[in-house]
Amino acid sequence: MSLLAVSNLTKRYRRGGKTIAAVDDVSFHVDPGETLALAGPSGSGKSTIARLVLRLIEPDDGRIEFESDDFLALRRAALRARRARLQMVFQDPLAAFNPRATVARVLDDPLRIHGIASRAERPRRIAALLERVGLTADLAPRAIHEISGGQRQRVAIARAIATKPSLIVLDEAVSALDVSVRGEILELLLDLQRQEKIAYLFISHDLGVIRSIAHRVILLDAGRVAENGDARTVIDAPQSAIGKALVAAAPRLNRAGP
Amino acid sequence: MTALATIRDLTVTYRRDGSEVTALKGVNLDIVAGERLAIIGESGSGKSTLALAVAGLLPASARIEGHIDWFMPPTLGAKAPPSVLPDISPSRGEIGSSTVGSSPTASVIGESGDEGAISPLEGEMSGRTEGGAVERQPFHRSGVPLHGRDIGFVFQDPSASLDPVMTIGKQIAEVARTHLGLTWSQSYARAKSLLERVRLPDPDSALRAFPHQLSGGQKQRVAIAAAIAAGPKVLIADEATSALDTIVQAEIVALIRRLVTEDGMTLLFISHDIALAAELAERVAVFRHGQLVELGMTAQIVGAPAQPYTRALLNAHIGLDTRPLLDRAGLHA
Repeated sequence: MSLLAVSNLTKRYRRGGKTIAAVDDVSFHVDPGETLALAGPSGSGKSTIARLVLRLIEPDDGRIEFESDDFLALRRAALRARRARLQMVFQDPLAAFNPRATVARVLDDPLRIHGIASRAERPRRIAALLERVGLTADLAPRAIHEISGGQRQRVAIARAIATKPSLIVLDEAVSALDVSVRGEILELLLDLQRQEKIAYLFISHDLGVIRSIAHRVILLDAGRVAENGDARTVIDAPQSAIGKALVAAAPRLNRAGP
Repeated sequence: MTALATIRDLTVTYRRDGSEVTALKGVNLDIVAGERLAIIGESGSGKSTLALAVAGLLPASARIEGHIDWFMPPTLGAKAPPSVLPDISPSRGEIGSSTVGSSPTASVIGESGDEGAISPLEGEMSGRTEGGAVERQPFHRSGVPLHGRDIGFVFQDPSASLDPVMTIGKQIAEVARTHLGLTWSQSYARAKSLLERVRLPDPDSALRAFPHQLSGGQKQRVAIAAAIAAGPKVLIADEATSALDTIVQAEIVALIRRLVTEDGMTLLFISHDIALAAELAERVAVFRHGQLVELGMTAQIVGAPAQPYTRALLNAHIGLDTRPLLDRAGLHA
């Protein structure tokens, strides 16, 4: 049984009198504890799919099943409750959070809103979350804008796991990080996945990163699925035109030496 | 190797919220005429500050110590002001163009004071000081280049560097008109040929288009066209492809390589991406915490790095042939 099953998903936009399908009849599934990557050039629809799956926008057509429920049919309290199981981490946590909020406040919100821990219990839970993502509890009173980009992304991950999700949508979540920090965050994500059996919908333009951490990949082109399969198989020998173009364009380090 | 510019003991300090942040610390670096030099580093490394310093674009509030001496060919640098860095007071706010328009007053002041434009070799032998290893024979001292005319600058975000309410054609033509003394109609003709050179589809209608009508990659092509409109000797690209997707990034890198080769420009390519930089540059300078960590030919930097930090950067690269983290899972848990 899939954790997430998306079928015939379609989202159209009207621009200048013309209708463009940003997402055009896309189907895929994500199994528990696996990483499915979505890749493609700008405008291929990968971020629109992320927003549709999170129900930040509504599709024109198609079906989304999440944890065996018709996710698009959920309303109000039922939707809020189910959202605890489906979390997100974006590229820029500074844009996602109130920059003046403290780390503690950012982590307190989901615990409070989803009724996960009592007021008295929450400071201890916040400390535990910070430690779980490799931070120390003394970071809690600091303001979001004061901490480093890598620390902020760890806080974003801590907030995402606060509600014990089964799926996290990661939209270019490591793209803005320095390379030295990026590796640590990817290892943290893998560790969380192993320990908590969290599945990831991993949206990225970086085929190297996808090949490194994803189990399967879907290559998108102009809103449609161009190719999908085992991440390494697809990236090592792409069959679609867009797959070949993406692989050819990836920068390569020739470390053979002078 | 002929130095186009020598950077000596360059230290740049910003004042921020009452405290001082040193963005560059005692940097020594020669820029070789005609080379493709990559400046790489992570955030806070000082790579963008170096790009701005070379272009004379640092904010007036920045404290600059040390100097940058230029050895521009006479035809291009003759009108430039004297060469010590703090003498340039960069006029900021040239929002309308991706190149930096020279301030007319600066060039007037420069003309009177600088001996270099007239007496090439003597001025060079007597006046130039540091780091004598560099061969400067074919050039003479001509002082600081004029931005826009002698240095083209391409920024990361073309949406921010292009004027949203000015046509593409005018933005490019304005650079040519300002620096080359052309008429408007000559400038527009040049703008059209530049749009052809940067391979913008349908240059005729692009001349009349506004930035918002173009894609991100097309906007960056326009920004590059504006940057080279006056035929600069130096092109500085500061994370110019970082906001673009991989395919467009590869196209823009290929475009920069072609233009730089065709025009014999010197390229400063500022990037956080060591693999991308290594594909384009002949030499790589690695920066960290405001200091130059390592400088060398690309093959040496990539294949036999001398510094642990350079090795760490290379090891952190996740390429298409890197062993997947999934396979290594558990090692670091």
